[in-house]
Amino acid sequence: MAEKVNLTIDGVEIQAEPGSVIIQAAMDNDLYIPYLCYYPGMKPYGACRMCVVKAEAPTPDGSYRSLPGSPASCTTPISEGMRVETNTDELVSLRKGILDLLISEHPHGCLNCHRIDLCGPTDVCLRHVTVNDRCVTCPKNERCELKDTVRYMEMELTTPLTYNNRHMPLEVKDPYFDMDMNLCIVCARCVRACDEVRGDSAITLKDRSGRSIIGTSQGTSLLESGCEFCGACIDVCPTGALVERDYKWDKAEKKVTSTCPHCPVGCQLTLDVSKRNKIIRAIPERTAEANRGMACYKGKFGLDFVNSRKKIDKPMIRNNGVLEETSWPNALDFISEKLSNYRNGEFALIGSPRGTNEDHYVGQKFAREFMNSANLDVSSNTHPEITKALEEMIGTRNSTSRIWQLLDTECVLVVSSNITESQNVVSVPIKQAAANGTKIIVIDQRETELTRYADIWLRPKVDSEVDLIGGIMRAIIDESLEDNDVCQSLENFTEFRNSLWDYDLTDIEMTTGISQDAIREAARMFANADNASTIYSLETVSPDLRQDCTESVVNLSLMTGNIGNGPSGIYPMFKGANEQGARDVGACVEYFPNHADADDSAIGVTNLAESLVSGKIRALQVVGDSPTFDDPQLGDFYKGFEKAELLIVHDTFESKLTDIADVVLPSSTFAEKAGTYTNLEGRVHCINPAIGPTNESDEEWRIFSQIAKRMGADGFEFTSSSDVFAEIQQSVSLYSDLDLDQVNKSGQLLKRISHESQFRVISRTDVSTDATNSEYPITFAPGRVLHQPDRDAGIDTVSDKNSITRSEIVEMNKSDATGYGIAEGDSIRLVGQGFSLSGIAHLNGIHKGMAASTSLFGSLVEDLVSSDDNDPMLKSDNLKLRNVRIEKINN
Amino acid sequence: MTQDTYKELKDRATSYWEARSNGDTPLIRIGTAMCGHAAGAFRVADRVKTVLSERSIEANLDEVGCLGLCYAEPLLDIKKPGRPRIFFNNVSSSDVEQIIEDYLINDLLPESQVLGYMGEGEVTDSTDSMENIPGIALQNRIALRNAGHTAPGDILQYIATGGYSGLYKAVTSMESSEVIDEVKNSGLRGRGGAAFPTGVKWSFLVGAPGPTKYILCNCEEGDPGAYNDKGILESDPHTLLEGLAIAGYATGASNGIVFIRHGHDGPIDRTEKAISEAYENGLLGENIFGSDFSFDIEVALTGESYVAGEETALMEAVEGKRSMPRFRPPFPAAFGVWGKPSNINNVKSLSYAPEIISKGAEWFSSIGVNQSTGTAIVCLTGDVNKPGLYEVPMGMTLGQVVDDLGGGVSGGRKLKLLQTGGPLGGVLGPDSRDIHIDFDEMRSAGAIFGSGGIIVGSEDVCAVDLTRVLVAFCQYESCGKCFPCRLGMEHLLEIVERISNYESKAGDMDLMRSVGGTMEAGSLCGHGQLGFGPIRSAITHFESDFKSHIEEGICPTGSCDNRKIVPKNTRPYATDFAPGD
Repeated sequence: MAEKVNLTIDGVEIQAEPGSVIIQAAMDNDLYIPYLCYYPGMKPYGACRMCVVKAEAPTPDGSYRSLPGSPASCTTPISEGMRVETNTDELVSLRKGILDLLISEHPHGCLNCHRIDLCGPTDVCLRHVTVNDRCVTCPKNERCELKDTVRYMEMELTTPLTYNNRHMPLEVKDPYFDMDMNLCIVCARCVRACDEVRGDSAITLKDRSGRSIIGTSQGTSLLESGCEFCGACIDVCPTGALVERDYKWDKAEKKVTSTCPHCPVGCQLTLDVSKRNKIIRAIPERTAEANRGMACYKGKFGLDFVNSRKKIDKPMIRNNGVLEETSWPNALDFISEKLSNYRNGEFALIGSPRGTNEDHYVGQKFAREFMNSANLDVSSNTHPEITKALEEMIGTRNSTSRIWQLLDTECVLVVSSNITESQNVVSVPIKQAAANGTKIIVIDQRETELTRYADIWLRPKVDSEVDLIGGIMRAIIDESLEDNDVCQSLENFTEFRNSLWDYDLTDIEMTTGISQDAIREAARMFANADNASTIYSLETVSPDLRQDCTESVVNLSLMTGNIGNGPSGIYPMFKGANEQGARDVGACVEYFPNHADADDSAIGVTNLAESLVSGKIRALQVVGDSPTFDDPQLGDFYKGFEKAELLIVHDTFESKLTDIADVVLPSSTFAEKAGTYTNLEGRVHCINPAIGPTNESDEEWRIFSQIAKRMGADGFEFTSSSDVFAEIQQSVSLYSDLDLDQVNKSGQLLKRISHESQFRVISRTDVSTDATNSEYPITFAPGRVLHQPDRDAGIDTVSDKNSITRSEIVEMNKSDATGYGIAEGDSIRLVGQGFSLSGIAHLNGIHKGMAASTSLFGSLVEDLVSSDDNDPMLKSDNLKLRNVRIEKINN
Repeated sequence: MTQDTYKELKDRATSYWEARSNGDTPLIRIGTAMCGHAAGAFRVADRVKTVLSERSIEANLDEVGCLGLCYAEPLLDIKKPGRPRIFFNNVSSSDVEQIIEDYLINDLLPESQVLGYMGEGEVTDSTDSMENIPGIALQNRIALRNAGHTAPGDILQYIATGGYSGLYKAVTSMESSEVIDEVKNSGLRGRGGAAFPTGVKWSFLVGAPGPTKYILCNCEEGDPGAYNDKGILESDPHTLLEGLAIAGYATGASNGIVFIRHGHDGPIDRTEKAISEAYENGLLGENIFGSDFSFDIEVALTGESYVAGEETALMEAVEGKRSMPRFRPPFPAAFGVWGKPSNINNVKSLSYAPEIISKGAEWFSSIGVNQSTGTAIVCLTGDVNKPGLYEVPMGMTLGQVVDDLGGGVSGGRKLKLLQTGGPLGGVLGPDSRDIHIDFDEMRSAGAIFGSGGIIVGSEDVCAVDLTRVLVAFCQYESCGKCFPCRLGMEHLLEIVERISNYESKAGDMDLMRSVGGTMEAGSLCGHGQLGFGPIRSAITHFESDFKSHIEEGICPTGSCDNRKIVPKNTRPYATDFAPGD
């Protein structure tokens, strides 16, 4: 670490990181310099001029040289021995002068009123200040940085400058947030956050001079300007100009830091809780290592489900076909009695991806040790291969590197992953790195947000990914681009290399539909990077090919020397928020606690449906609603559920599952419980109860313990989640070093298991798609991007809500189209099982037998906003390949 | 291009030019710079072509730049074999046929329209020499040496008149450090407004890490009443290109970029043509004159914004971003365009370089006074009889400029004020005649020479009204980034408007001073720091004008009673309202 720089601020001697600016040095040492446009972590901007200082720096001859004028401390780098004054009379009067100007166009009617802290938004103003000019009617009244600054500066507020309200109409037609440009101070923090941090540039500074204001950079609506609704702009806004629409005027009674339950990134969020016991907003933690102040549309705007009044209040037992409310003891007695009939392997337990490590641990202990069943899993564990194969080859089942180490990687390979929607925050460092020259290779049939950033986008034929990656590896061997040191150190390199002779590029070109040149170029790009990272979730790869595909991905990383250190990471992208924790504590089908491999015959999510139908499983306990059960690719779950003799469902909301359950238990949301989550990096975070009890719901670890105790089991005497955590630390060696206080404070990384890495030899599989589905012969690859600069979204701004009106373009192969009698520009309809999409045919070079269409993210957001689902974000991932048939629409 | 091919090119150009300018075919030249364009020069040129072809007269026609006498445009001159150039002033297209018939065919001179002759040869006794016109006699043209004489679109004419010999000398016989020393010794100071020594500025770039380094040429030139940068590019773009290449050689830069304000079509077209001509002849590109010096030049169009002329805002603009100034440090020499070391110079500063190298620092520094060497390129406009683009030695008094060059205040009125240095500059009173054009003297008088615009105001000009227009310009052109300028300009305009509308409130003068003080100390770039300048100098020199508006409700000249509407960029939907009222 470089040596610290010594300087003096207002007579206080401080030490600061070299290369920082004065204001950052002051902040790091808890010294305050007023500021409005600066924001820690973003590049300085130097617009508000509030942070002006007087500074002098020593010269070689020992005297001091004053910096000219009054430099802004946010743009002035520190130097050794610098002396800074922040509060001279001149500076104070300059700041007051600027604030006077600022206040002259910012509503401030309450600021000079002694009743400011007494009045509420609906009180009658005794001074007749117009509603628009009051502070108490501003949604950010209690957290306005401008107000704080005015108070800190002890402004007299007696300026003779004319006050002008801009009287601009409020922008309330876009999803999720309101923009009131009358409150904007044009500090451009939001524009910089959108551009510099998120890489989206959806909003921009419009016009100039006194008319400068924030607006959309393309068109009139955020739906068409590339907004990903991450809310980063709201989080940095110092005034009430940008606010979350829901609970806009509610004040936070308390703030609780917790972990987002929507995906395995594990964003740390500060949850504002109102006096009505509701989560009113979520603000990502700037200092959290997992998300570094970032969140996404799900974390920012998808937590309202915990406030719903539709939550299940009490336990229910089905009596004569009708669910009847009952008490907990009754329900637990009923369950214990029934379950005692199934302690012979006919019982299965499916956990929720939102369960805590404690829930999962007690659940698996109950199932394995007491119910004698190895049939347990987490409902989101639909792609077990992507972590299983990784662990077998290099000894870890979470990502080998940290999320933000992606910033330093030189090349990122993304295989069949839509991370901008599913694990959004992981895409932030990638987009930032891309802006700094990092190369991006995407292998995907679908057009996703990252394909827009890709230097090379390879769009292989369906299920030819293994061949494609094999071809890339072959090209690397052909050109001797492999990392010789690493390869030679692995024992089976020769065998592995020999296996690549099967991947003849001429043949690969045929099977993948991708030219040899493109394959070679990708190979060079990946292999020539000093460090390269791989991200894969294999969403479009068929289940029987995922094992091979994962092994190929890892082989590629290993042979190029990217063995999972620092910026050369391998990142499996699963979906469940705490799927990682479930695997670690042994609540997934493939693992016992402590990494021991489970019995192969155990039944998990992927074969649950068939086992229920065949009668192998007769009693089932399911936690949490899950989109998994609606995926026809995994089988017909509901047919199986109906066949089960005993179906116990823990859930927050009534659902298709509770409709057929024998017993329904109200399950606590993440906001009501305590425990730990493990994220995709293997970082353990705490979730903390934010809202108090709203009903009789309970946490799973306690429910399982009570059932077990009632059934006479020992070892379930837990009184708190920390009791459970203590036992986890004993039985799961990975967790033994964790310190719960540290986990709660900032999250703590699991240690890495040392493991001999090795290559896997993959024999080429026959990927001939002979089993052509005659009813639905075409594979449709739906894509989604934030922004299509070349296409107008056709925003309807007339109604209450902005909406996208354009027709989608469907890419088709020419010869397929000829077969259907479809010409360029014809209106067509794609029809699949439970699916239909109309659009305009565009005949291009897409592979025969495929069709694709790319919609805007704005459309998804529209759907989420208008959805009447209790928890729409949970079900928002729907970019699945589908089998469809194509119909021409006549006129 | 090797040294030999350059010599061949030069020989070819010389003989071509001799034949064209002094040969057997008459040569007709028409001033088609902005002043000529505005006066109808292109219509005249079209008419000339038509008449020549109708009458089957063999003559060459060159569209040239501005001789400086803008008031005489369209200025057409005819050089017949054995005769001097005869200049016809204020020619309209309807005059063309008569002139051609009288002079070109019948060899008669229509006395009334003849301004004078220039050069050797036989003339009638009554024709005066152009050298006797003060607008020509008082000029000492260095940067504009070819303007009005050679065609900007013809590189051979430029080469024949000594063009690219400065670059040739620098590249083939001087070390780059010698070039910088030469420019330093010449005392050349930046002509963009700040008057920073050009050689010193160049030396900042020398040590910066390469290989990609940029020399930028700033032709944003948004000052109302300034057209000398555009004038150079329109009249003689090669002189800038040569200067830019010399700067590139001296500083080790690899690329030159000429920024021109979007919409200045004449300068843009002529510069782009000149660049392609220079490439065709090997004077730009790889290995110039067979040396290992390679240099590329391109034109970039800035956004339509005055602040884009601020050096860091200009770099933002060329990167395709909104042109808002960056903070410094880092300075352009360390972190400029695309993050590469960069150096920004004004068109005029660079256009001196070829002659400084050709003729030496001593020659250049012998012109001018004190610390202001060389010439001043004055754009003289306003209430003056002979507005023009005059290149005069530094040290000339403002009185000489107004009275001798400009032929005095128009309409026989009295001089009231001189507005110099662009809208951010200052206003000088009627007692300013003895002030010399000298960067330091002007500054100590409370004005700046700036980019060279001098707007003359007669006794009919109201200082409040003029200030209002200037402040409106500064307000409109604020980029809106830093708070003091964005908000301060708005209030200043509001207050000046109030005063000119006889609606001023008590304390308005103090309020302007306090807002101005905040802007001056707090603003990010020069626009805000100098934005109060016009008001301050107006209230210094013409406080009585303000007083009569404020106290008596009378405009001394009456111009505020019939106010011109100026564009404003104030708050959207603004209405006056005070909270708590």
